[in-house]
Amino acid sequence: MSAPGKTEPTDLVVRARTGDAEAWGDLYREFAPAIFRFCRRAMPTHEDAEDATMEVFMKLRDKLSQFDHTRSFTAWLYKVAANHCWDMLRRRKGRQNKETEDVDDIPLEHPDPNQLERLIEERSNDEVRKALGKLGVRARMALVMRYYSDMSYDEIADALGVRRAFVGVVLLRARHELRQVLGENSALAVGGTR
Amino acid sequence: MTPIKHLDEMTLLLYVERQLDRERAQEVSLHTQTCTRCMTLLRALDRESRLLTRAMLEQDEPFPARLTEFRMAVKRSMQWIWGLVFGLAVLGVYALYAGYIEPWEKQLDQAGFGSTNLLSLLVFQGAFWKGWQSMFTLFEVLALAVLAGSAAFAFRKYIRRGSALAMVFASLGLLLATTPAASATEFRKGDSVSVAKGENIIGDVFLTGNHVRVDGTVDGDVFAFGQQLDVGGHVTGDVFCFAQGTRISGQVDGNIRAFTNNITISGDIGRNVLSFNELMNLDPNGKVGHSLTVFGQTVTLDGKIGRDVVAFFDQSTLSGTIGGSLYGKGKSLTISPSAEIGGKAEFEGAKPATVSNEAKLASPLQFTMHQPHSGHDRSVGYYIWRLIWTAAFVLLGLVIYGLFPRFAVETVEAGEHYGAAFGLGVLVTFGLPIAAIIACVTIVGLLLGLSTLFLYVIVFLCTEIVVGTIVGQWLLGRTSDYWPLVARMALGVLLVRIVTSIPFIGFWAVLAVVLWGMGAISLAVYRRLQPVVAPNIPSVPAGPVGNPLPPNTTVGGM
Repeated sequence: MSAPGKTEPTDLVVRARTGDAEAWGDLYREFAPAIFRFCRRAMPTHEDAEDATMEVFMKLRDKLSQFDHTRSFTAWLYKVAANHCWDMLRRRKGRQNKETEDVDDIPLEHPDPNQLERLIEERSNDEVRKALGKLGVRARMALVMRYYSDMSYDEIADALGVRRAFVGVVLLRARHELRQVLGENSALAVGGTR
Repeated sequence: MTPIKHLDEMTLLLYVERQLDRERAQEVSLHTQTCTRCMTLLRALDRESRLLTRAMLEQDEPFPARLTEFRMAVKRSMQWIWGLVFGLAVLGVYALYAGYIEPWEKQLDQAGFGSTNLLSLLVFQGAFWKGWQSMFTLFEVLALAVLAGSAAFAFRKYIRRGSALAMVFASLGLLLATTPAASATEFRKGDSVSVAKGENIIGDVFLTGNHVRVDGTVDGDVFAFGQQLDVGGHVTGDVFCFAQGTRISGQVDGNIRAFTNNITISGDIGRNVLSFNELMNLDPNGKVGHSLTVFGQTVTLDGKIGRDVVAFFDQSTLSGTIGGSLYGKGKSLTISPSAEIGGKAEFEGAKPATVSNEAKLASPLQFTMHQPHSGHDRSVGYYIWRLIWTAAFVLLGLVIYGLFPRFAVETVEAGEHYGAAFGLGVLVTFGLPIAAIIACVTIVGLLLGLSTLFLYVIVFLCTEIVVGTIVGQWLLGRTSDYWPLVARMALGVLLVRIVTSIPFIGFWAVLAVVLWGMGAISLAVYRRLQPVVAPNIPSVPAGPVGNPLPPNTTVGGM
């Protein structure tokens, strides 16, 4: 996984690993906004996202020496961020209320594709973001990992602590949840409503 | 004809996500080439993925200024402060115990109560005024708590970091630990407390007791809490008093700020007097150098006041001299033959003042008839007044929305977070006046306290406008344009005032409106305190994009 159209900051990473403060500063300035946005999508509040961003980079600085430079730095960065955000969310109370359901009881149904198309057409980016904020934390986290940071199913399984085979189920359930929230005001809820 | 068996959504999603093995992917590919329904669903799933990615990648919020630079060094350097916090906390607790709790225990033991329980003190000791010894400390603690809470709220974005939070705790601990030692302030407590004649205290003095006397000299301010306060000596600073009865027969060079049941001034006050009381009596020998402001039931002014008088009362008698103007509002005013008023004289009341012909007034007394409105009086006039007030609120809203259009929209949006708005509303509605009053009489000062109260009143008046706008938006839909917003506000204010006019539920409706509106405004103000966009932020690196569809798929041509 890497950000398309973006070269890996190999030189910066190498210099930052040797303790070059300037390189570290450049690295931070280059990636902090993207990580903040990742955290903002994953965490419930703006303040949580700010805190998480700062903590992710603190962890990153401590772990930079462990980074395998033959792999993608961006992918590694998002993995650290995902693990950190998920840890923060998991520690919070009340997470269980939406998250204890069994993940593999997804119905094998075939929703009305035209209805789904209409729902997608009618919803703006802003509405989708707001709806994301209303999802359960695992659903939100899964969608953010997959569709914001383009993490693989293996990485998502690793971060969420579920078997790889269940990642698709988690994602589909998350989509159903999202459609339900998006469709609440327009009677366009599609699929996944049991 | 055999019905077509469609692929389930899970399979199609895994196909879109390129998670199927080659054989299964080929099967799906073949199926979707012949099944329109599955093809449409496949296309929809892919579009959904793209919508998600696009929505998440879009920059909708500025990058917080707090994050512009990495602050690892700050965090690390601040870690030591937690040790300091612990040390100072211990010191603070010890100071509290040694300064306040232990003396209480002794006093209570002597009084026959072997407990420091405030409730038992208030319940069993009976007379409310005897509780001032404990109330004093309660006030201090309350003041600190309110100030700390206000500071924590105002600077929430800065103290979110643990290290900064540690600093706040450290500061509070330091405050608690060092206040008794670092200040020259003297504290005296007991049943009967006095500054004896001939005694000279340099610095401020706090006196708490049933009977408090100041017969000596205090070169500073006097803070007195007690059942009976007598100031017969000389105070070079101000006198702040909370007492059932207060008598000032000595000399006070500064101001008097009194919250008492009755106050008699027969001495010489150098500057101003502000008093909230039931009975006030300025003796013929009493003298106030500057102005007098009094809120009381019965106000008798026989002495001399150098400047203006502002008085709110039931009954008032003026026999003395007022160097400046007089503004009085109350039920009845009597101006005796010996009275003198150097400036303008105004009285607003239920009946004209009784003015002696021999009284020396610089200008004739201006009288304004004031009929108090009864809450239960529901005559036509009541409804006309309601209508006039409704129009006034709409006008006020119009002006405010014109002056602060963005803030108005933000406030209305904040009000739609019902839980947060109500919660904050309760806190601010009840907490802010307490904090302001405490600021007036204890720590921060009168100016800040009165400014806060003034601001509170303005916000209080605006609550109906905010709630009215929200109600209007419920009915007519959302908008952020000026005139449509004003129209919604006008409609909403009208409806809110109708609801608040209904007997019995009206009071609760008003309360709800106040809490809701106050919370909405507070929330909007808080959000305004959030960090702003930092300049020179580098553009955000392009985030990852969703996967392309598997090869050989015919999906979408998208």
